[in-house]
Amino acid sequence: MSIDIHQVSKTFGSFTAVDRVSLRIPTGELVAFLGPSGSGKTTLLRMIAGLEEPDSGEIRFDGQPAKSPKDRRGAIGFVFQHYALFRHMSVFENVAFGLRVRPRRLRPSEAAIREKVMDLLKLVQLDWLADRYPAQLSGGQRQRVALARALATEPRYLLLDEPFGALDAKVRQELRQWLRRLHSELHITSLLVTHDQEEALEVADRVVVMNRGRIEQVGTPEEVYENPANPFVCSFLGRVNLFRGRTAAGYVRPHELEVHLTPEGDVSAPADVVRVNAAGPAVRLELRRADTGDVLEAEVTRERSLELGVKAGDRLFVTPRRLRVFESGPDLLAGTR
Amino acid sequence: MASDVAALGAKAQQAATASGKREPALVRWMLIGTALLFLGLLLVVPLVAVFTQALDQGVKVYWEAIRDPETLHAIGMTLLTASLVVPLNTIFGLAVAWAVTRHQFPGKSALVTLIDLPFAVSPVIAGLIFVLTFGAHGLFGPWLAELGIKVIFGKPGIILATLFVTLPMVARNVIPVMQAQGREEEEAALLLGASGWQIFWRVTLPNVKWGLLYGVILTNARAMGEFGAVSVVSGHIRGLTNTLPLHVEILYNEYQFAASFAAASLLVLLALVTLVAQQLVDAGRQRQLAEGQRAPAEEGNG
Repeated sequence: MSIDIHQVSKTFGSFTAVDRVSLRIPTGELVAFLGPSGSGKTTLLRMIAGLEEPDSGEIRFDGQPAKSPKDRRGAIGFVFQHYALFRHMSVFENVAFGLRVRPRRLRPSEAAIREKVMDLLKLVQLDWLADRYPAQLSGGQRQRVALARALATEPRYLLLDEPFGALDAKVRQELRQWLRRLHSELHITSLLVTHDQEEALEVADRVVVMNRGRIEQVGTPEEVYENPANPFVCSFLGRVNLFRGRTAAGYVRPHELEVHLTPEGDVSAPADVVRVNAAGPAVRLELRRADTGDVLEAEVTRERSLELGVKAGDRLFVTPRRLRVFESGPDLLAGTR
Repeated sequence: MASDVAALGAKAQQAATASGKREPALVRWMLIGTALLFLGLLLVVPLVAVFTQALDQGVKVYWEAIRDPETLHAIGMTLLTASLVVPLNTIFGLAVAWAVTRHQFPGKSALVTLIDLPFAVSPVIAGLIFVLTFGAHGLFGPWLAELGIKVIFGKPGIILATLFVTLPMVARNVIPVMQAQGREEEEAALLLGASGWQIFWRVTLPNVKWGLLYGVILTNARAMGEFGAVSVVSGHIRGLTNTLPLHVEILYNEYQFAASFAAASLLVLLALVTLVAQQLVDAGRQRQLAEGQRAPAEEGNG
């Protein structure tokens, strides 16, 4: 139940949405396609689902090429960003749809359909809403119905297109954890498209970072966060500062930037505190370097902040604990050497 | 709570007096009076006149006029036309709406414009188009004559002309609804394993049913009431190619006022039924629209 994507391209008019992408998705993994809008992640997902035809290249399921969308029917569960629930059907009928449209000889009996649908609604904790209509549900409830509907045909692959994008932060957080639990119970090969790096890093076994129709990096959340392959991945996966030293320039995350009252080490640089934001678990400092005028962001613990007694206007010295230097990416580093 | 309601009431009253102050009572009554007078003269009085004229010589004469074989034939002709035109244009309208909203193809905008042509041209011209195409001296005239098919001054002509003038109605009412619904539900159905027909019957059609019904009602009203185009192609052969509107005119021209208005009253009744049906469908459509617009406002799980 693996998916092999081989040299797949897709253009819309003069816009290249997906540019010669190759990727292997192993059985049972939850893989996140992460990238900004227009990076081709949704187009790639829709091609895997068969909703778009690739201009060139091939997509294989378990080593078998899937030529027409028909071959994939029912084998793929798809969850849309805006739910795409059938608005004229009750929650029960929405979930039952995939079973009811089967050819007569493959269709389960009415009693079997009933049991299956109620089981799925229990799984998404919405069995008490079976007779409601989509318009009567909240966004989070609708998306769970959509998920139950996608699972009804017992798909071998579950594809989720920005599934939590239209929900507010708290519901999104809950559904994310819930999806993670569901995946560890069902072990169904799952693809999640998202532009939210936090979501991708939290939920996925593996993250595929995309940009301008190409894959920038593939790896576990830890790998892509700690060892980004290039400046794009580095800056997309979290806040980052460009730090220009005397000998080298590189990227440093706010929590890897040490602050001191006196210069420490040879890459230490003087900086003035512009703003102190103490909301949240860590204290964020907005700094302006005294020598270059660059704006930097540092994150220190509450204790450290009290120890230093920082307030706006103070002069501090910053030392990067770790500097990521990329050979590629002269565009971002131009003019530093 | 009670004080809130009281406050609201006071506010409403204030608003009412405020708007009342803006225009003096005299101006208000003049405006309302003009509107009512206009409506009365142009709509109510003629409507009442149709029925009083129809029943002028008693219910018996009215009944006789309607039972007249020629009137009955005209009714039959009108019903036959509508029963063919409505389903044909419903299928055409759905097909066009589907093609236009779900597919990209060259000449799409030209097609959308062309659909409106029957609304743009005078019905008389619409009739003439068919005379020039299928008439004895028309484009296909000699060929049709050879086959012994009589289109103009026959039933096929009437049906063709009616098809033409009612062509845009279903498409015009379904296209915006289909556009608003988008493709996602159909894509979801496809991925759940539904076939093309299943998607159409179970997902697409239920979603556009109000717009479709509205279009069908308008098509039916126009198909039964069309005069101009049908008048040109029918040849007014009594008991053969006469529809109800044409029959009304013939009777009127022959000074058979009671009979004429009796036939006309049937058309007025049709109009009233259409209005009621339109209102019902519109209410359903508004309800569906309101439901669709109810965004996921309230969150909260469980």
